[in-house]
Amino acid sequence: MIHSVDTILSLVLLSVLFAFASNRVTVLIKVIAFQGIIVSLVPLFTSSELTMGSINFILVTLAIRGIIIPLCIYLAIKKVSISKEVEPIIGYHASLFAGLLLIFAATYVSHRFNIPSVSESLLLMPTAITILVAGMFLLMARRNAIAMVLGYIMMENGIYLVGTTFSTRTHHIVEFGILLDVLAGVMIMAIMLQNIKQKFDNVDTLHLRNLKE
Amino acid sequence: MVEIVFLAPFLLGILSFFLPKETGRIFLVLTGAIHLFLSVNLWRKRPEALLPDYFSVTPEGLLSLIVISLLFFLISIYTAAYLEESKLESEKMFIGSMMLFLSTMTMVTLSDHIMVMWIAIEATTLASAPLIFTHRSKASLEATWKYVLICSVGIAMALLGTVLISLAMDVGQVNVPLSFSELSNAAKDLDPMWLKAGFVLILVGYGTKMGLAPMHTWLPDAHSEAPSPASALLSGVLLNCAYLGIFKTNKIMIAAGLNDFSGTILIVFGLMSILAAATFILKQTEYKRLLAYSSIENMGIIAFGTGIGGVGAYGAILCLIHHSLIKSSLFLTSGNILMGYGSRLIEKTGNLAKLMPKTLVAFLGGFAGISGFPPFGIFIGEMFIIVGAFRTGHYVAVVIFILSLCVIFAGFAKHVMKMSFENVEDDTDIQLEERASMIWPQYILLATSIVLFLWIPDTLFKTIIDAVSAVGGGF
Repeated sequence: MIHSVDTILSLVLLSVLFAFASNRVTVLIKVIAFQGIIVSLVPLFTSSELTMGSINFILVTLAIRGIIIPLCIYLAIKKVSISKEVEPIIGYHASLFAGLLLIFAATYVSHRFNIPSVSESLLLMPTAITILVAGMFLLMARRNAIAMVLGYIMMENGIYLVGTTFSTRTHHIVEFGILLDVLAGVMIMAIMLQNIKQKFDNVDTLHLRNLKE
Repeated sequence: MVEIVFLAPFLLGILSFFLPKETGRIFLVLTGAIHLFLSVNLWRKRPEALLPDYFSVTPEGLLSLIVISLLFFLISIYTAAYLEESKLESEKMFIGSMMLFLSTMTMVTLSDHIMVMWIAIEATTLASAPLIFTHRSKASLEATWKYVLICSVGIAMALLGTVLISLAMDVGQVNVPLSFSELSNAAKDLDPMWLKAGFVLILVGYGTKMGLAPMHTWLPDAHSEAPSPASALLSGVLLNCAYLGIFKTNKIMIAAGLNDFSGTILIVFGLMSILAAATFILKQTEYKRLLAYSSIENMGIIAFGTGIGGVGAYGAILCLIHHSLIKSSLFLTSGNILMGYGSRLIEKTGNLAKLMPKTLVAFLGGFAGISGFPPFGIFIGEMFIIVGAFRTGHYVAVVIFILSLCVIFAGFAKHVMKMSFENVEDDTDIQLEERASMIWPQYILLATSIVLFLWIPDTLFKTIIDAVSAVGGGF
């Protein structure tokens, strides 16, 4: 039987491929926002009982992951006219191919693990692994500093998905602390982005190569 | 009430953003004094936490806390004078971030819940980022960028590791709170495969923050670009905080009987860091980066000692304490040199013996200490680690260890001798008067190390033994 959450998760998987093939930073931001929203909604489908507290928590997560974080990055780059290319180190076609391979590998690997709490959904594990690794891939394969931050956020989304689906025992207050940390981290990165743009007139990390050894 | 120790500097730090510059400096020293008082009090009474699920007083936490507190107090005295001399633009930001940084590091030492530990360690990254960015130059921007991005990504790995440990509980059907102490008690029932995976990710994650090679790339940049008091804090205490995360996870591994696995990985990472430091120290051109690589070396030594276990683990804790004392004094001294000569390059500095005699004493003392000479504590620490390694039969590893230490000493000595006694080309004016408050903190730090070499108070010795016995250490 296909679990209802699998339908929206398949869209997340497609969005990874979309992100790998796009050359615009703005597209990447939209993908991140979309993934943020879906990832925060997943607990609605998977958890067995919903209390008022958990619904509130889901709403807060949704607001931060789906709206505030992407908006932060968007506002940081909007004012300054930055070249919006992502400046790939690995080309788009190769990235796309790597993305496909990644999804295959993630699906294969997750069938190997036998984890009781996620057995009903076919795609939960593969999606979590895919966006986690995809985030790392963007971090390494793009020279644009904004794309690197977005890669970091994608990775964080992946870890959140792993966390919410694997384990039900963490408290909301603790998860909220993690969320705040991530948010503050992204805000600091956004400030850094603006400074990099002002000082170097570019956000290509090739210019950030002066400190060595 | 345990929580007040980190809440107090947090609130005072927020308050300091609203104070004028001169008051801010006094406020900083005052915060250091209050924190030291609270920590000593905590050490003596060892009370229960208000939120026992999340925080608790552990021996290893207490050790780190008292070191942090003492260092911060002395560094804050230095900082007050430093700020007067250096006339930073963003002084308020600097003072406020120092206090928030203190608060987050204290939280690391007191947290017992594995997720709260993660939150606190990530918060240290965020609180210290403005400190590295203080000079607002291109290089400091690059260093901060590297620091925030590399450490955030690294620490994200540790979060994943933490999640996997909670999965190890689910699979093993263990139902206890997610705290280090409860997990160590129930460690035997945890699923070993997921526990191992979690440990590796946590080691990589917190290891990034601790400066273990090959994840150390942010460390030399951040330490050389940050103002010297901030470098002293970063190297002296931040690295210890990250180590605490690894130490506590290692405790679970050892309670689960997986000490061979965790020990081997720690030894490998430790040796890699020592080797990396040995390679880079030889051809270093800047003295602050030299000190940063020496921190990487010492973190490697500590990881190595923890991996060996037994007396080695005891030695590692000694190295941890003494490295903090000595390295922070060296970084403060490097601040004097930087202000005196106006350059970070080794070739532009020379003849310290004549130009800055008081600074030279602190510099040479620190150098002797960090290279492992008696009467400084690192000597005993390293000796215990070497003895421990021979006892457990890690012959190859210990040979690499000793050879690298020799190479590092040779490289370090060459640069230090150049800076201390060789003449510089054109006679440089020294732009710094050697005031008491910029010299005595270093002397006190070094003296503490000597005192602890000669005589360890009973309560301190007992706490160290309590801490290491959980990781299979001791005599």
